[in-house]
Amino acid sequence: MIMVDNGVTVPGRVSEDDRRARIAGLVSAARDGHPEAVSELVSELTPVLWQVARATGLGQSDAEDVIQTVWMSLLSHLEGIHTPAALTAWLVITTRREAWRVKKADRKQSPADQEWLIAIPDPRPGSEESVIMAEEYRQLWAAFLTLPQRCQELLRIVAFVPRPDYDEVAATLHMPRGSVGPTRGRCLDKLRTALGPEEGIR
Amino acid sequence: MIADDAGLTAAIRDVFESVDPMPAGLPERIQFAIALRDLDAELARFASESDEAAIAVRGMEESRTITFDSDSLTIMIRIDGNADGTVRVDGWLAPAQAGRVEMRRVDNSIAVTADEAGRFAFLSVPRGTARLIVGLLGEGNNGRPNGEKSVITPALILLAAE
Repeated sequence: MIMVDNGVTVPGRVSEDDRRARIAGLVSAARDGHPEAVSELVSELTPVLWQVARATGLGQSDAEDVIQTVWMSLLSHLEGIHTPAALTAWLVITTRREAWRVKKADRKQSPADQEWLIAIPDPRPGSEESVIMAEEYRQLWAAFLTLPQRCQELLRIVAFVPRPDYDEVAATLHMPRGSVGPTRGRCLDKLRTALGPEEGIR
Repeated sequence: MIADDAGLTAAIRDVFESVDPMPAGLPERIQFAIALRDLDAELARFASESDEAAIAVRGMEESRTITFDSDSLTIMIRIDGNADGTVRVDGWLAPAQAGRVEMRRVDNSIAVTADEAGRFAFLSVPRGTARLIVGLLGEGNNGRPNGEKSVITPALILLAAE
């Protein structure tokens, strides 16, 4: 079967300027009603939204439904969106809000659907280097799971939001309920503490 | 050695891409849903559980027949593998009638005409996910169903032979 993830967002690995220019063009074409532009945006940004939805603890099929709902609703909100950062922010925030809404509406989550919480990536067979890398990831994963849930969610989202879009996303991400929300810096510090002085990832 | 913020963040991303990757077909399913949003179509269902089980259709090993039912139309298709790895799809509409049958994929669509006996054929279809959309001929511009109800099948996954 066909896989359509050639356009997966990999922040930092492609030229950010090129990416932004391309996304800006797609946003504008999508606003003008070109369906191929919407399709490309879906390929590009759905991997990010998957992580955002799953970071709330939502099950797999609910996460898929939420993400589809968000894309559908974007189509009627394109008028107000003019920059790649605004698009990312709208998608991330809407996905997160909708994911939490669905999760609260359905508290009978099957525990089996949270299997990733205990899954630890296996070292890939092959070079010595990949085994060492996998060991570092194991340590990181173990440390990550000791963080408060809100830090886990925040760091997971931040890890997938393209760098230049982050400020706009962060402005609305920090839990608007009046209480002091977790910040990226504090959560990363907690993670470093959990990793311990000698165990850090290089 | 303590990583800087960017290094740590990149490592978190790598870990999640490994432990909880997005399902591969998700963007494709969303693209389908968007493409079909404005289509006033009647949704055909699998006629039986065995039809549903055959949704992932492998060519070559044997031909398969799948039946879809909707309120106004039954669509039966048979899928055979071609030697070059593509698949052939033969279909029948019941009640028998001429029409336009479109095989819609994410990035393109192929349309053929069903004859008055309701028979149609896609001779060589690349593997991938596809839906069939059936509209009565002459109901819209260029034979494209327009205004009239068309009938759409669930997504089929056409796999080439091993």
